Amino acid sequence: MTDYFSDETGLEVRMGNIVLKNPVITCSGTFASGIEYSKFYDVSVLGAITTKSFSLERMAGNLPPRICETSSGMLNSIGLQNEGIDYFINEQLQEAKKLGVEIIPSIFGRDLDEFKKIAYKIKNIEEEIIAVELNLSCPNVAEGGIAFCASAEQVGNIVAATKEILHTGIIVKLSGHYNNISETASAAKKYGADAAAVINTIPATAFDIETCKPKLGNITGGLSGPAIKPVALLKVFELAKENIIPIIGIGGIMTWQDAIEFIIAGASAVGVGTANFIYPECGRDILQGIKQYMRRKNIGDIKMLKGIAISNIIKG
Amino acid sequence: MKTLKGEIVANRKYSDNLYKLEVFSPYICKNAKPAQFINIKCSRQGSDDPLLRRPFSIYEIDEQFNVFSVLFLVRGRGTQFMADLRKGESLDFVGPLGQPIKIPENDSRFVLIGGGIGVVPLCLIAKNLKSIGKTVHFFAGFKDEAFYTWERDLIKILKDYKIFSENGVFGEKGIPLNYIRENFSEFKDHHFIVCGPLEMLKQAQSFLKDRKVRAIAIMEEKMACGIGACMGCVIKIKNKNNGYSYKKVCSDGPAFDLMEVCFD
Repeated sequence: MTDYFSDETGLEVRMGNIVLKNPVITCSGTFASGIEYSKFYDVSVLGAITTKSFSLERMAGNLPPRICETSSGMLNSIGLQNEGIDYFINEQLQEAKKLGVEIIPSIFGRDLDEFKKIAYKIKNIEEEIIAVELNLSCPNVAEGGIAFCASAEQVGNIVAATKEILHTGIIVKLSGHYNNISETASAAKKYGADAAAVINTIPATAFDIETCKPKLGNITGGLSGPAIKPVALLKVFELAKENIIPIIGIGGIMTWQDAIEFIIAGASAVGVGTANFIYPECGRDILQGIKQYMRRKNIGDIKMLKGIAISNIIKG
Repeated sequence: MKTLKGEIVANRKYSDNLYKLEVFSPYICKNAKPAQFINIKCSRQGSDDPLLRRPFSIYEIDEQFNVFSVLFLVRGRGTQFMADLRKGESLDFVGPLGQPIKIPENDSRFVLIGGGIGVVPLCLIAKNLKSIGKTVHFFAGFKDEAFYTWERDLIKILKDYKIFSENGVFGEKGIPLNYIRENFSEFKDHHFIVCGPLEMLKQAQSFLKDRKVRAIAIMEEKMACGIGACMGCVIKIKNKNNGYSYKKVCSDGPAFDLMEVCFD
């Protein structure tokens, strides 16, 4: 059997100061810190894993039920339940490092000050991580979250403050909810972000027609899965056309074909999220599929694929 | 735990909407323990609709033939997909998942109370308890006749059981908890294990707590990952500070101390 994982030629991705050995990343909130999934496969084959978002203090999360199936998708209203950044740094990071995969801690603050405080804590472990993700787009929290993305100025301020503290790569996780993704991405780039992760889950809800009550304890949640792929793809495509900042394409990627679609639409790398719940080994399988596709198409470097659809449209 | 494919040995229709799916899987038969579950992909290969896997308690394990089963009610698209599966087809599932139930070694007498589909994990637990020489009384309660033929499975595990139906269409008319209330002196030194609708669990907690009886609840909640990564399936569990913490049914459970479960 061909070992598709021994050869990383042509897969390296450079996004600003962030260099990944390949373009497949797992999305925050779907992969914990990788330990659970390492029981299914060697997660060190991945380009990186993005951890669950960590806040300054422990967060309890939202009222259950937190999960609801929808047509070709799901809603979640977890509400960033986590044990706090100190727990990640002191308890989880070393365990995750043993997996041999590059780690991107995702962080969440309710305001600028909290982001700064978390960044100072991250500073102590900068050598052990490849980048940090600023979660500026969670739809399930009362303070901060998706609201940050309503204002390019706020996004810029948080990136600038983080950049002053950290030297590691900075990824901003943006929402497709507002019609200003170019502005927020531009602000992020201007103040030093290396890449934008696009998009987060889409605010949504569902009701039970028997009880006539919301299906989620939090009433609203975030929609993810195949249902959002075309929406996410459009956001990536539109942002990539403007060539503002390298993009990690996220939204309903279930297969390697989906991943390729995001890359030809302009994404430098791809984030795999909800698919992990259904196919625990999907990160590995998507990477393998990308490699096989490149061989079949005789593409020596993944960079040659990036944005081909945009070039083709321009060429006519 | 692993992602697995197993050949369907049989899909037996017990009633209009109750089915038993029997699956060949040496891995599950060797490794699964009572109260553990599997997460089943309820769509054809290449399709992701319905999207999420559905969790099912392991119902029986036949170590001789490497066949395990799940018992399920058809409730929606996922379970309809399962009802339509035929012998010879392949089942895509992840398992075994969840923590095995910790049987209190010093207790020798157990009362198991199952409500509706909640009887499923209790059957494997009952079989296990019997195999290690414990005394087991099994009480099962149902709303209607869907489980009418299920007794044939239970009788293979133990003889000491009572079945109740709310409408009296089979078994005794009533609910198990009322029987326990009326005959509590017989069971006061037993360890209880309960699984069923939240209202039943809540009533069991209230009744048993007053009498200082120890009890384990097998809980369920909607799940996404099933392996402890997503925090989707949490329930409120009382903590030492008179408050509560969210615990994951999939990986902290599904067995919890009944007295610590918050039903508000």
